[in-house]
Formats: sequence, C-alpha cells, structure tokens
Amino acid sequence: MMITGVKITLILLATTTVTSLCLGTVIAIMRISRIRIFHILGNLYVEIFRNIPGLFLILFFYFVFPEVLPSSIGAKLNAYLYYPVVAGILGLTIDNASYVSDILRSGRLSIPHGQRDAAISTGLSRVQQYLYVLLPQMYRTALPPLGTRMVHNFKNTSLCMAITAPELTWATQQIESLTFRGIEATSIATLFYIVLAGIMVSVIILLEKILKIDVSSITHSKTL
Amino acid sequence: MDLLEQFANINFYLLGPYPKGEIGGLCLNIILALLAIGSSFIFGALLGYSRLSCRLYIKYPCIAFIEIVRSTPLIMLIFWFYFFLPYFFGGSVTIFWSAVVSLSIYAAAYQAEIVRAGIMAVPRGQLEAALSTGMSRYKAMRFVVLPQGFKMMLPSFVSFFVSLFKDTSVTYIIGVIELTQTGIIISQRQPDKMYAAYFSMAIGFWLVCYSFSHLARKLEKRIGVFDLESYRPEACRDEFMLLPRRGKIGEEADQSARCIPAGPELKG
Repeated sequence: MMITGVKITLILLATTTVTSLCLGTVIAIMRISRIRIFHILGNLYVEIFRNIPGLFLILFFYFVFPEVLPSSIGAKLNAYLYYPVVAGILGLTIDNASYVSDILRSGRLSIPHGQRDAAISTGLSRVQQYLYVLLPQMYRTALPPLGTRMVHNFKNTSLCMAITAPELTWATQQIESLTFRGIEATSIATLFYIVLAGIMVSVIILLEKILKIDVSSITHSKTL
Repeated sequence: MDLLEQFANINFYLLGPYPKGEIGGLCLNIILALLAIGSSFIFGALLGYSRLSCRLYIKYPCIAFIEIVRSTPLIMLIFWFYFFLPYFFGGSVTIFWSAVVSLSIYAAAYQAEIVRAGIMAVPRGQLEAALSTGMSRYKAMRFVVLPQGFKMMLPSFVSFFVSLFKDTSVTYIIGVIELTQTGIIISQRQPDKMYAAYFSMAIGFWLVCYSFSHLARKLEKRIGVFDLESYRPEACRDEFMLLPRRGKIGEEADQSARCIPAGPELKG
C-alpha cells in the first residue's frame, strides 16, 4: 500500500511538473503578448487562480467537473477507477501554472531588449525567437524561484488525499485505520517527503550551477 | 440563478453554525490565519535571526527545524498535531487548537526565511555605522537594522498571509468547519446544484485573497520589489549576533574574517 502510494505520488509529481510548466509557459507568453485579448485572458487566469486554494480546485475537478459535463461523459468519468488521480493532476496543474507563469513572466522581463532585437535582426520568426532565444533565457533566469515552486507543488500533491487518490498521505491514513500503526506510517511518509524534497532542491542547485553564465560577460554587453 | 439562491445560505458560508454552535465559515478561515501568523511571528523571527548565527549549536538546529518543516506537506503536519497533541495533553485538545498549532509551526518556518532575507537585505554599512556611533549590538539591531529590515519584509509578510489563508482550507480534512467544509455541506444538501455551492465557496476565498494580494502589490510598489524566493544569501554574518562570542567590538575583524567567505569585491 505504501509502495503504491509512493508510485502515485511520483506520478502526480512528474505529470504536474511537466504539464504546469507547459501551461505556465503558454500563459506567461500570453500575458506578455501585445495582442490585447491574449493579454487580458492571461492576466485574468492568473488573477483568478492565484487567489483560490489548490485544494478547492482539486475538489472542484473531482466532485463538480463530472456533473457540469454532459451526463454520459460524466458518468464514464465517475466510473473510471483512476479518476481521482486525473482530477488531482488537473487541479494541481491549474493551480501551479498560475504561479509558474508569474515567475516566468518576471524572468522574461529581466531579459535585456537587445536579445529580442538581435533575434529579429537575424531573421527569426516569432516562434523561433521564443524557441531559440527567449525561452531558454527565461527558464534560466527563473530557475531558483521555479525550483521552490516545484517543491511546493510536490508538497501539494499530498492534498490529493482529500479526493481519495491513493497517494502516500492517503496510504498512511489507510494504514492507520487498518492497523492502528499511525505513528510508524506517518513518520515514514514524512521522512519520504523530506528526503524527496531534499533531492529536488539539490537537483535544482546542481542545474543552477550547470546553467550559470559568467556574470562579467553580461555586464560587459550591457555597457556596450 | 442557482448562484443567487446561494445567498440564502450566506450566513452559513460566513459564520458557519455560529449562533447555535461554534463559529465557522469564512470567519474561521480568517481567525485561523490571523492566529497562526500572530503566534508564529515571534517564534519565526527568533528562528530566522538565529539562523544567521555563527555558533553552530544555534545555527544547525534552526536550519534543521526550518528545512524539515518547509519540506513537509502541511497535511502531514496537521495529521501529526491532530493525532499527537491529544496524546500529550489528554483529550481536551479540540481540532481547532490542533489546527492552530500546526498552522503556526508551518508559518514559523516560512516567516523565519522571510525575516532572515529581510535582515540580510539591509546593507552592511548600516550596522557598521550604527556600531561606530557607539551603539551596543542590541541597540544597533533594535533601532537601525530591524526597522529597515521589517520595512522590506512587509510585502512578503502580506503575500505570505495570503498563502497561509489559502492553506487554512486544508484544515477541513480533520473536520474544522471552515469555508471549504461549509461549501461541501451545502453541496451535499442539494447534489443537483453542486456547482453553485462550489462557486460561492470560490468567490469567498477569492475576495479575501484578492484584496490582500492587491495590498501586497501596493506595498511592493511603495517599498520596492523584494524578491524573496530567488534571494540566496551565502555569507554567514556573525556581526548580527546580539552577544558576540567575546563581546568586544575590537575583536570583530578576525571574527568576521573567520565567518564571511571573501566576496568577489574583496578579491579586487
């Protein structure tokens, strides 16, 4: 039970990290874009979802989402065995993406104008500008806060126990109610969370070191 | 239209079963967040301050505490205190108080980080100037460094309050009747209009959080943006200790030489 819990937690962590990074990037680009509708929509998304608890979103996707959909699809969703996990992924992604987009946007704003001008002058199209020039720099400058956010997101996966997704916290509660060995189960789960968070932090610090650029070269280019 | 019908329940959303029972609803969320942030403030400030200490027997326990609490999910903390507070204090501990204690511990670790970054963000010359005017270390901290530090911490405190307020919704899992719980109770009363109850719940959270994050943004603009999350101080600053190891200002130079790794500006 504990091992399935760990598995589900890791699945939740991996999928929500990837999906929220993608969604967050899209929304960050929307918020920067000069097209008015995209700008407004992106800002609206962040304003709404930053101010709503992640737990609410998870509950919403589990209880309400199948009801709002047409009843045939809703019934299928409710019957699906792993729907709690899917609902958890949806809720966590939407919650986390708003923060990620905010972080990436401030990363984009810290890139000097010359980078974009240079990209335009070499004849790159809009998509290419983002893919080859701006996005890599956005991720690099935003890496430390992005890492903290992802660790936070990892901790938030434990909220999925509210909708009976069989992840680690839920497993400890089950073990507690079956065997009354609450202390042991909770300690092991806590230890797991601490160790994995530590691993994530050290990976992020390692990435930072790998991706670090020589600061003096940047200041030089700015003075030019 | 279903949303408008929810206005009939507005008392339950805001106050829970208050006149007949304990206070609940949105009010309880605010009470929980205020109690947690208030009670953890001093503890968090002390932790954050002693994390800057150069004495290893003070520094490492604080780092361990902060890092452990910060890397444990809030639900886990809530379960720990929900199960083990009654174990130590008998059955008299209500779920409300176990929620308050776990939220305070959680908040203390985060506030420690805010306080530490705030102190580190005050330029070192301020403290040196204060010491050179003949102030004691305590006075220098109290009248020069901390007022400036707190001013810089203020936006992060408000935005942390917002996130703590959102985190109070987690306490519904141990059965505290706060806004999430009231929404779920109402949605179970009328299962065909579930979304209306959920939307009114979301509106309740959103209104409070939005007004506070608006306040935080205004403060940030007035004080100057202070990005806490990307701030990674590396040097350990012994001169911020209230009681330095040998207690004399004259010996400061060799102490700081031991504690502060030479920065790039020293290398020339």
